[in-house]
Amino acid sequence: MPDILHLAPYYVAAWLFFCGLYGLVSSRHLVHSVICLAILQSSTYILLLGIGYRIGGAAPIFADIDPGKLTVDPIVQALMLTDVVVEAVVVALLLAMVVKAHEKSGTVSPDELRTLRG
Amino acid sequence: MACARKWLNRVMADSLGILLAGITLVISCALLAKVMHGPNVYWFGNWYPHGSVIVGISFLADPISIGLAVLAATLTLLSLIFSWRLLGSGSNYFQPLMLIFLAAMSGFCLTIDIFNLFVFFELMSTAAFALCGLKIEEPAPLQGSFNFAVTNTIAAFLVLTGIALLYAVTGALNMAQIGLALGARHDPLVLFAFALLTCGFFVKAAIVPFHLWLPDAHAVAPTPVCVLFSGLMVQLGLLAVARLRFVVFAQTFASHETSLQTIFHFLGILTVLVGGLMCYSEHHLKRMLAFSTICHMGIMLLALALGGALGFAAMLAYLVGHAFVKGSLFLTSGILLHRLRAIGERSLFAKGKVLRWTAALWFLGSLGLAAAPPFILMTGEAGISKAAEQMSRSWISEICMLGGMLTSAATLRIGMHTFFGWGEEPITDEASEIGELPETASEDRRIFWYQFVPALISISIPIVLFVTPLWLSVLRNESAVFTRQSAVLHLVYLGGPVTGQLPAWNETFKASAVRGAVAFFLAILLACTSVFRHRLKRTFRIGAFLESGLRPLRVMQSGHPGDYVLWLTIGLSIMGTISVILLRS
Repeated sequence: MPDILHLAPYYVAAWLFFCGLYGLVSSRHLVHSVICLAILQSSTYILLLGIGYRIGGAAPIFADIDPGKLTVDPIVQALMLTDVVVEAVVVALLLAMVVKAHEKSGTVSPDELRTLRG
Repeated sequence: MACARKWLNRVMADSLGILLAGITLVISCALLAKVMHGPNVYWFGNWYPHGSVIVGISFLADPISIGLAVLAATLTLLSLIFSWRLLGSGSNYFQPLMLIFLAAMSGFCLTIDIFNLFVFFELMSTAAFALCGLKIEEPAPLQGSFNFAVTNTIAAFLVLTGIALLYAVTGALNMAQIGLALGARHDPLVLFAFALLTCGFFVKAAIVPFHLWLPDAHAVAPTPVCVLFSGLMVQLGLLAVARLRFVVFAQTFASHETSLQTIFHFLGILTVLVGGLMCYSEHHLKRMLAFSTICHMGIMLLALALGGALGFAAMLAYLVGHAFVKGSLFLTSGILLHRLRAIGERSLFAKGKVLRWTAALWFLGSLGLAAAPPFILMTGEAGISKAAEQMSRSWISEICMLGGMLTSAATLRIGMHTFFGWGEEPITDEASEIGELPETASEDRRIFWYQFVPALISISIPIVLFVTPLWLSVLRNESAVFTRQSAVLHLVYLGGPVTGQLPAWNETFKASAVRGAVAFFLAILLACTSVFRHRLKRTFRIGAFLESGLRPLRVMQSGHPGDYVLWLTIGLSIMGTISVILLRS
């Protein structure tokens, strides 16, 4: 296995991060912005899991395997799950705001919703 | 409380909120009294460290952290008292959200585990997004809250990426253990993690170019929420940077102190200038106060960047003073919105002539912003000038004076227009024309005691703190402990008593008092050139020129979330590149 493939998760994480960022900057629809934010957040999940992975490691549950055996890191899995929960809350809140904004102004394009300039 | 809200009527929900905030304040004060004898480390679930490996999550309760938690509880209590009859919190979402916000801020101050810091950061931010967009009847709050949410969520994920990188390098999540394990490494990975973490927290701390969300969020949030935002939430970003600098990355940058200081000083000066100039050119009261927060955050970053215990102690004194002065100004603008039904300078013109006590509060607030004598902002500024002298960069005091002058001049100008009715019709701009729906019911337009008293308390606390210097010695000694990585390691691993010592900076008080008075006087002059612009010759109309705003800065503040994210990316790339170039060995 060429060494470069060991770094695959990090490349994927970086690619997702830049995709999400580009999508946010050039977005013309608020729901599209929120989904780009969710993509940004997925990049951190992959980064965390990539950091914790051990080649040849088993799942970190010691109920049926010997405690001395190599397992993947469970801490980053816990961090990732916390991250997922946080993302769910923020995305839900933002989508609710987008729905309300559409109700009030009839549009979902950030270019037209510019009452706060200057 | 959030579950029970359907069954609680308005009065009960408000009183329950005030009661719980009051209880939190009392508990925090009791804890503060207890940790005066020696900081305390609390391990959740009794997971004590094994040797040098830390397996649990801990709260480090030293007087500075608990002091900031007391500040959070005080500001929340004052805001909840002010919002006794605020419209729009009729369905009782407001009080539980404020209490969650208070809990998250307190947790943020106390924790010494970096992932726990991230969790409290996200909790604080989410409660803030919801509070900011609370007034859903108007279209503007939803956009302001959206811009706020998008920018700060990206910041949170920058922080998380930095934490992930640090975990990959050191295998640790406790700040003390990371600091120990990093040692003096500064390979590009560590520097990249530093850049990510710092930029993430700088977004929260509204440092240029990451500041664009703040004016939008403040312009649309309900007044008591603005008090909390400007008073403490934004400053917690700088507290996090301080923890990173002094505990996690202490040895990494030991050999590159000057480069790091230069980077932070540059950002600080940029923030002071942008914040101050835009502050003067705003005509919407809350946006103006938001830009003044940005300016003062620049001053606090300059203080923090001076490094060492003296800079940090000065920053904390300035922070506490600024929180109360800014809180009082926001509460006063809330009183104006309630009584006069307007928040733009032109619509408020000459209407406040009968409000004598409110005028007194407002002008005291502008005196405080200039860091003039009876406020502890002056104490902070004295500390900054002493630290600046020690690093032979005494021009920093002049920059602080400039920032104070610009923000104070803006408040003075608005005060002169509103409460005295001097001059002609004020200049106005698009943002202030939009205005804001009043936050209270229109039947009774007297100023209630529960609106006035919090503002009065808020402005008198810095004066009281200035006159009683006892707490200052505790602040100094505890800053010496906070900023020494070895002391923090000793505390976390051994739980043992540590003491610190920092000499007083009384000798710079007189110079600072003079500087504060001069800043206030110049602010009065600048405000007058703006107010009386029709009677002056063209060359003297400096105030009016500044007021019309500098075009590039206004264009930058465009209200479009994509633009804000673009500036964030530009700032992050520049910060990352500079860190790796300048700080690598």
